Amino acid sequence: MVSQVLSTILTVLAGIAAALVVYWALNKLAEALPGRWENRIKPYFYVAPAVAAIGVYLVYPTVITIINSFKSSDGSRFVGLDNFGKLLGTPAFRQTLLNTLLWIVVVPAACIVVGLLVATLADRLTPRAEKAAKTVVFMPMAISAVGSATVWRFMYAAQPAGQPQTGLLNGIVTAFGHDPIPWLQQSTLHANSLLLMVMLLWGQTGFSMVLLSAAIKGVPAETLEAARLDGAGELRIFWRIIIPQIRGTVITVFVTILITVMKIFDVIYVMTNGAFNTNVVGLEFFNQLYTNYNYGYASAIVVMLLIAIVPIMIYQIRHFRAEESA
Amino acid sequence: MSRRKLVVGVSTLSALALLATGCSSGSGSGAGDTKTITIWTSMDQPVIDGLKAQLDPRAKAQGITVQWRKVDNLNQIIVQKVQADDAPDIALMPQPGIIKDLAAKGKITPLDDVLDLPALQKSMTAGTLDVAKVNGKIYGLMVSMNVKGLVFYPKKAFEAAGYTAPKTLEELNALTEKIKSDGKTPWCLGIESGTATGWPATDWFENLILKYGGVAKYNDWISHKIKFDSPLVRQAAAQFQKIAFTDGNVLGGRKSIASNAFGTAGNPMFNSKPGCYMYQQGSFITGFFPKSVQKNLDSEVGVFGLPPATTGGENPVEGGGDTASIYKDSPSARKVMKLLAATDLGTTAAKNGSSFISPHKDFPLGNYPLKTTQSIAKVAYDSTGFAFDGSDAMPSAVGSGTFWKDMTAWISGQESLDTALKNIDASWPAG
Repeated sequence: MVSQVLSTILTVLAGIAAALVVYWALNKLAEALPGRWENRIKPYFYVAPAVAAIGVYLVYPTVITIINSFKSSDGSRFVGLDNFGKLLGTPAFRQTLLNTLLWIVVVPAACIVVGLLVATLADRLTPRAEKAAKTVVFMPMAISAVGSATVWRFMYAAQPAGQPQTGLLNGIVTAFGHDPIPWLQQSTLHANSLLLMVMLLWGQTGFSMVLLSAAIKGVPAETLEAARLDGAGELRIFWRIIIPQIRGTVITVFVTILITVMKIFDVIYVMTNGAFNTNVVGLEFFNQLYTNYNYGYASAIVVMLLIAIVPIMIYQIRHFRAEESA
Repeated sequence: MSRRKLVVGVSTLSALALLATGCSSGSGSGAGDTKTITIWTSMDQPVIDGLKAQLDPRAKAQGITVQWRKVDNLNQIIVQKVQADDAPDIALMPQPGIIKDLAAKGKITPLDDVLDLPALQKSMTAGTLDVAKVNGKIYGLMVSMNVKGLVFYPKKAFEAAGYTAPKTLEELNALTEKIKSDGKTPWCLGIESGTATGWPATDWFENLILKYGGVAKYNDWISHKIKFDSPLVRQAAAQFQKIAFTDGNVLGGRKSIASNAFGTAGNPMFNSKPGCYMYQQGSFITGFFPKSVQKNLDSEVGVFGLPPATTGGENPVEGGGDTASIYKDSPSARKVMKLLAATDLGTTAAKNGSSFISPHKDFPLGNYPLKTTQSIAKVAYDSTGFAFDGSDAMPSAVGSGTFWKDMTAWISGQESLDTALKNIDASWPAG
């Protein structure tokens, strides 16, 4: 244990030092160049290591993954578009895609709506009550997804009828004399997926609330007062004045949560591991890689995810730039 | 000026540090004589404690320190660690399928010239040495065994009602009917197990296939020479369905099976008015029973093995076990492996009342303090053949993938049996 801690500390120190050495050496090299060239080259020397790091840790794996997606399950030979064709031809994988789509459609929007609701309503409380309310809503953010999923299992847990119920929901249901319901098995209309989404909503609303609340408070009081003097109702003020003013923040929050949701894995892994038709792309990737050792399928799934996520990233970056320049 | 000196000083120092850490992490990678051997396992802590108590001093006598580490989810972590070239020296895996996968990729050391195999062949329960065999070479040594396909019952209530252990599967069905006609619920059944939900259902299938087909057909089935979509598997499915889906047979009914945790599903047996009278599980389940039952196991719990298909016919038993393999070859690792093969290694683990059962037939039954454990071990030692847990021996895409998932989908009513069997067949890796 002690040796592990020591070697970790040493490794970190060595890493920092090595970086310093590299920059120091590059700086020396630049200084050794004739006057004019020193200033021309120097910026590149400073940027190069970062670019190299991105290349090694981001670009290279991406390229390898794309290549692997055209290879057989053990990566030994090329099979063309076979992996994509077989995956998309499997009903189970199509359901997985559909589930992922459901998550994408429901969760970010729900997070915005609930976050906005809490932020707006809390704004009308006394400062002390507002703080308390926001703290409660924000608290789940502090729990890891795996931790909260473990806790939420007890929400949905079901024991056979007649046995003591450990699950909260079934505790309530049986108290009213009904038979316990195996919540996570209710795949009709993807009800169980929605129950899992509630959990993520519980975890992410705090994030959306904090950002939106700050934006709402940034709306100038004069504008609101002017509207009130003109006889606008509160709802009208909300839709016509507040919403347009915080539009940028709404988009930022939406896209951030959207990207989180596209990569969603831990919540479902802990709660159902994809059983009862709750599978999503991120989890299917993990299971193909670490349960089935099917590198071809795993890579193909990641490539599909990449294709879906890239346009959103581009949009987000553009939006961010527009906000910056505005 | 002084600043530049500082930078030089720090960097020299850290370069040295880099060398130092490089050396220390390099020593683990088994180039030559490591004196510290790491063993990873997911066994129960009391079993580890018992084995540790005997192994560690013996290793110490040879100058080797053994570091045990209990790792949950070992199946997945070991694959990641092997890929990252950061595997432990020895790991005790509950799934030989993964050992075989890794062995085929050349990541595991064969044990043929490490262990005295002819002697072990005589001492160990038939079939246990072959569980991790690839191309005629043995890659794993079973250290701790569990027996599956056992039916536990609440002894007092069961005997008071005049029920007796059935001799054939037909008699088992008759007993089920009789309990039901007495106005009671015959079975408890639960297959929920977190990320591994579904495996208890595969155990049911494996046991029934083993009873109907015998060891030879069972082995054909787990190597996919017999398909899932076959009369044998459908015969097993029909028997399972008769027990699990018939109204009134299972506590909570069919819909409760998939959400009922396997660890606690059997506990209603021990209510003052038993919630059910039979629970099929492996030997380790006694460790999940309520504390009050565990304290009086011999007077509270009775057990019989799932009966054969025909009276006096072949009666093989299914089991599992933790199988040791060398992931980082070194003389010390080989020495520890030899120590793990000793028959008396499990004496302490057996005597401390853990779930440990020795795979060695010549292990004295008297070492088990409980009659329950003795009778479980006897089921294994007396069997006409031993078959390793089939889902653990299948390729993991099936064994811990579709077999678990599609059985769960079938039982919870999301898929028909036809679809489930076809899906499993389709997921079998090519080649």
